[in-house]
Amino acid sequence: MRRALLLAGLSLLARALVAQTLEPAGIVSVVSTRVRSQLPSGTAQFSGAMVGGNGTLSFGRLQLAVSYVQGKVDSAGVGGPGHDLVEGSVLLGAQALPWLTLAVGPHARSYTLTSGTQRWVFWELRARAAAAFIGSAARGYVELWRALSADVNVPESFDHAQGGEAGMIIRFARAPLQARVAYRMDHTVLHGSLGGTRLETVDGLVVGFGVDWH
Amino acid sequence: MKRLVAWVAFLVGGAVGPRPAVGQGASGTFAEGIRAYQNLEFGRAAATLRRDLARLTAAGAPAADRVQGLVYLGAADLFRGRRDSAVAVFKRLVHLDPRFLPDRLVFPPEVTTVFDSVRALTKTVAILVPPDTQVAPGANNFGAWVVASSFQTVEVTLRYEDGAPFRSLYAGPIGDSLRVQWDGLDAAGQLPPVGRVLLRVASRAPTGEISTILQLPLDLRIVRPDTLDWPALPPPSAFLPERAGGRSAVRALLGGVLVSGAVLAIPSVVGGSGGPSGSRVAVAGTVGIAGMVGYLLHRPGRPLQANIRANQLLRDAWQQRVAKATAENARRRGDVRLAVHAGPASVIQPRAP
Repeated sequence: MRRALLLAGLSLLARALVAQTLEPAGIVSVVSTRVRSQLPSGTAQFSGAMVGGNGTLSFGRLQLAVSYVQGKVDSAGVGGPGHDLVEGSVLLGAQALPWLTLAVGPHARSYTLTSGTQRWVFWELRARAAAAFIGSAARGYVELWRALSADVNVPESFDHAQGGEAGMIIRFARAPLQARVAYRMDHTVLHGSLGGTRLETVDGLVVGFGVDWH
Repeated sequence: MKRLVAWVAFLVGGAVGPRPAVGQGASGTFAEGIRAYQNLEFGRAAATLRRDLARLTAAGAPAADRVQGLVYLGAADLFRGRRDSAVAVFKRLVHLDPRFLPDRLVFPPEVTTVFDSVRALTKTVAILVPPDTQVAPGANNFGAWVVASSFQTVEVTLRYEDGAPFRSLYAGPIGDSLRVQWDGLDAAGQLPPVGRVLLRVASRAPTGEISTILQLPLDLRIVRPDTLDWPALPPPSAFLPERAGGRSAVRALLGGVLVSGAVLAIPSVVGGSGGPSGSRVAVAGTVGIAGMVGYLLHRPGRPLQANIRANQLLRDAWQQRVAKATAENARRRGDVRLAVHAGPASVIQPRAP
């Protein structure tokens, strides 16, 4: 009986998938990034431009999103040494409502310092609300995420992390092109073994341009 | 002499007459009379043929059914020595069918000579018209054949039912036959104002007197084709709104405000400690400006050019259909036809002076 139900479910899913078409989209972004690290000993702030891209592949209600950016952030103010920043994510999402997409997947970030490389890996749950608000040309979106778990190779222990992004995507009427402007921020809290708290905040302005075959 | 003639008649007529394939041979109606004629029993033949002809005439049989009996009756009367009676019978035969000629293989020259002389002196005609026809008035013509028994002068006219002249079609001599034509219009060039006219052919004797009048009624009916219905205007639901409503404008403004607010609120939502950020304000401002631009672009009452063009195409298509229907209706209104139904011909014998 269970096997029959499973087969029927798979059959329905397969039929639904066959009826869909792949809809790829890709965008090249420049991210003006600012990293603020608050330690009990003091606050360090870095900023710089990162370049990368992200792409999505939609298949019906399912969506696979991949992003990658890298760049160099320099110490702000005192002129200390900068370091390389690389960030990427792979998220598998599903459209719960026409305007709401839920996604889950790993989000990794690494800082290359003179003393070594810090690796931050978060397993995130994201919720993204998007809707057209200027005809069909401009879509606004707000995305929030929270880390379900994290793997960080720093002395402090991970407490929690969350972030968000909001902005708009402009689609051109006569070509499958899109432009994006957004603001993003994520905030991580870690606890030191001696009781201190470390706050890592990364925010930035995202400007992108790409193609969209939706 | 009479007996000799009878024998000749028997030898010539009798040898050929019985053949059923021959048109003027013995047939069902007059078989008994023809058999008596062939047996030289002219008295019995005449009596029998007269009886059969009277029965056919009373029954209103067509002329074609009676001519065979008449020619045998005339011949029988001739061989009985009753020439006047034979002439009267032949005259009646010529009036019935001016084209009729006795078969010269069946009837001896004595008969055919008398018949020919009667035919030459009898001035009458037959009118041949199609029973039902349609003509385009003024364009093509209604035609009728007038077939004469012999050379004569005829007047072919169309007349109202009360006998008043309607159109004169022909006046003059006729030899064997003549085709007369009518353009379907009255004397003023208009469509006939009446539903029936009479086609009348008056034959004149060589003395100039009218000898016979043959006329047949023509029932006229003006046929006007149906016109097309006026194309219906597209329903209001087919037209797109030509002025923008307020919903899109409000949506743009509200969306801009909401997204801008979300951008500004992100630090407090995620608990960040980034401090003041010019990029955040820049994004919020950009989105807000976009919302305001969207509001202006979609402001209420703004003419929607795409919809106006689409509606105009719809109206143009309707007007083209109207123009097409108007042209087609004009063509159909001009395509008037005259249906002519010919009734049975009747003979009017003018009174003796």
